[in-house]
This record gives sequence, structure tokens and C-alpha cells, in this order.
Amino acid sequence: MTNRKEDEPRVPASSAAAARARKAQTILVAEDDPVSSRLLEKSLEGWGFRVLKARNGGEAWSALQNLHIRIAVLDWMMPGMDGVEICRRIREIPRTNYAYIILLTSKDSPKDIIAGIQAGADDYMTKPVNLLELQARLQTGRRIIELEDSMIEIQKRLTHLATRDGLTGLWNRAAILKFIQEELEHGARDGYTTSIIMIDVDHFKKINDLHGHQAGDSMLRAVTDIVRKNVRPYDKVGRYGGDELLVVLPNCNLYQVSKIAERIRAAGAARKVRPAGRSISVSLSLGCTSSECFLKPDVDGLILASDAALYEAKRDGRNRVSLSDAVDGGPARPSGKGRGHGR
Amino acid sequence: MGAKRKPASAPPIIREEVLERIGGEEPFLQELLELYDREFALQSKALEKAVRKSDFKAIQDLGHSLKGSSANLSLPGLMAAAVALETAGKEDDIAGARAALARLKDEYARLKAFTG
Repeated sequence: MTNRKEDEPRVPASSAAAARARKAQTILVAEDDPVSSRLLEKSLEGWGFRVLKARNGGEAWSALQNLHIRIAVLDWMMPGMDGVEICRRIREIPRTNYAYIILLTSKDSPKDIIAGIQAGADDYMTKPVNLLELQARLQTGRRIIELEDSMIEIQKRLTHLATRDGLTGLWNRAAILKFIQEELEHGARDGYTTSIIMIDVDHFKKINDLHGHQAGDSMLRAVTDIVRKNVRPYDKVGRYGGDELLVVLPNCNLYQVSKIAERIRAAGAARKVRPAGRSISVSLSLGCTSSECFLKPDVDGLILASDAALYEAKRDGRNRVSLSDAVDGGPARPSGKGRGHGR
Repeated sequence: MGAKRKPASAPPIIREEVLERIGGEEPFLQELLELYDREFALQSKALEKAVRKSDFKAIQDLGHSLKGSSANLSLPGLMAAAVALETAGKEDDIAGARAALARLKDEYARLKAFTG
């Protein structure tokens, strides 16, 4: 279970946008006249573009559904859907990135130009196309697309910073709690149960005290690795607190979650962390609960219940899995037993 | 047929202009002219049918399309005939369309004679 697609989106390095820009840009040429089409194709290829040709509006429209196509040169007059109609439609639908559109036409009255631009074209050229002018105008298109790419890149990095834990790369506390909320709501609609596992590293404080904080960090990264490899690809793993990880498992009942938790525990027990020549055993305590244990499941209730189960696992000797009880209205937290004591 | 061409008439293709536009490559010009031939064969057949049926919308569209490819290859005579077809189609002028179609065919023959 090493598929990390869902839980571990890698943030691309800052040079990724530049690398993408250097890669040949695919450009759509929608033109029903084969002479114009071939002429454009040869020129564009000469300028380093990859060219995709469409012979009519319908073909152009389907080609534009591909998000890799960021620049399009569209003839205004085409059989089927015309260029202006395509512009209008492409601006109507939500698209995750921008398509830069140059409209070609033999219509050159100001009224037509305005109609084309209003429909959503970025630029406008009259036929027969002056190729040097087209080349210059395509530079503008490239610039705008690169600008947008770098903005998307920054947005991704910011989202990553805001939702990820720096040390482990796991979801941070706010993000993982939000996932519980979302899965509970989704599950209530679609009729599935959601379970969570609270995982605590046994004697974590001792590891830090005895071996240093770098050893503690190595331990946390090792546990992260163990957990990720033993959950399902679509489960979410977050860092809830200092040495506590939280796993959210949609469409998973208490029995199933107990099996997964046990798998994590066993994988931990079989592993040693070796920071700077030392050898430290991994020991994990895990508390599980499931929305099926509640009449009205909510985030706080699940957290409290998993925490209580975790406390029980600690109390019973650590290196074990404990399940919360099914209690109407939700299991209560054991009174007077604060979290974190003796862990 | 080239010999019959009136010496006073302008050449059917402005070679320097089109060659400059396409980057000076003679073989590429040949390739484009072949594409034009194929397209012209289809379009003129469709135009004849449209004129026979007085389908003015089709006359206008076909005229427009030929205007574009003729302009791209700097074929002024063919372009003028295509413009006349487009206008005749737009104005529901069947006599004009017939005349323009005849002119289009003449101009094409002139081009073929000229380019060999």
C-alpha cells in the first residue's frame, strides 16, 4: 500500500515552471482551409511549437478540452462551431488554467474586432496572416501563460505550506481535522462510516532525552513512513500533535480499522530506527474509533473517543491497539486522565 | 495555353510576395499549391452545385473560403473571383454568381498554365 497519490502531493521544485515553459508548447490550429492550415503548421513548428490541427469547430472544441493546450489559433469562419462561438464557450466553462486565443479572420471592421474580443479572444489577426506578426503576438501568449503558471505554482506552494507539517510532510492538524469533518458529512449523505486512528509513539520523551531531538525527528519520520505504507491509498494521515499522528479512514468500520491499526503496530514493532549509529526500537500505541459508535458523530466526539482508546492502550502496557466502545451519544472521555501523561 | 495568355494581363500568382510570406522555400510553395489544387477541385464542384440550386448561403461560404486560400498564396485573380462569388451569394445575385464562377474557372486555368 505505497500509493501516495492522495496523501502526498509532491510540491514541484521552483524550477518546474521554467522547465515546463521550455518544453515545446502545444498549439491548436483550427482552420478549415488546408492551405492556411499547412502554412501555419509549418511556421509554428519552425518556431518550436508542437501543432495540433482541427479542421472544423467541433474538432477544435474537443481539442480544447485538453488542458495541455494553452494557445489556440482559431479561424473565425469554420464549418460547425465558429471561432467566436468557441471563444465564448471556453470562457464560460471553468478551466484550471488559461487558454490564450488568437482569432483569425478576413473580417476587419472595428465592429467585428470588438465582437471577437468581447467573445473572449485575447488577440485578433486579419488574413492573410503576416507570419512575423503572428510570431511576435505568440510571444505575448507565451508570456501570459508563463505568468499564470508561475502564479499557480506559488499558489500550490502556499497551499502546501498552509496544510502540511514541515517535519513529516503529513497533513497538519487543521487540515486533518477538516478531513474528518468532510468525511463525516460525506459519509452521512452516502451512508458510509468513517474511522480514525490516533497514534502515539511510546516513550517519545525518553527518546528525545536519551538520544537527542534529531533522533526524535528520525523516529517521527520513520513512523510516518510506517503509517503511510500500511494504510489505504485514499486514507489521510496527519500530524495531530508533537508525537501524535492521526489517520482518517473513510468507508471503514470499527472492525476494519482495528485490522489496519494492528498492521501499523506490527510494522512498527518490526522496525528499528538508527539515527547516528544508534538503534532504537519503534513502539506504537493506537486508539481507534468509528462514526458507527456514535448516534450523532462529530469531530470532537471522534477525537475524544480515539484519545480515550489511546489512553487505554497506554495504560494496558503500550505497543497495542485499543478500540473505543459504542456508546449512545458518544463515549465520554475518562475524567481526570489528562492527555500526554506518562506517554 | 500559356501562349494564349494576354501579355498585358497581370500574372496569376505574385511569386515574390508569397515566397516572402512562406520563408522563400520553393518546394514548400509547390506543396501549398498542390493543396490548393485539391481544395479547388472540391470547392469548384461544390460551387457548381450551389449555383445550379441557387444555394446562396453555400455560394457565399465557398466564396469566402476560396478567398482565404487564394489570398494566402497571393493569387489576385482567383481572389477577386472568389470575392465576387461571396458578394453574389450575400446579395442573392444568381447572374453575378454564374459570371463569377466562370471567371473563377478562367483564372484557375490561367494559374495552371502559368505554373505548368
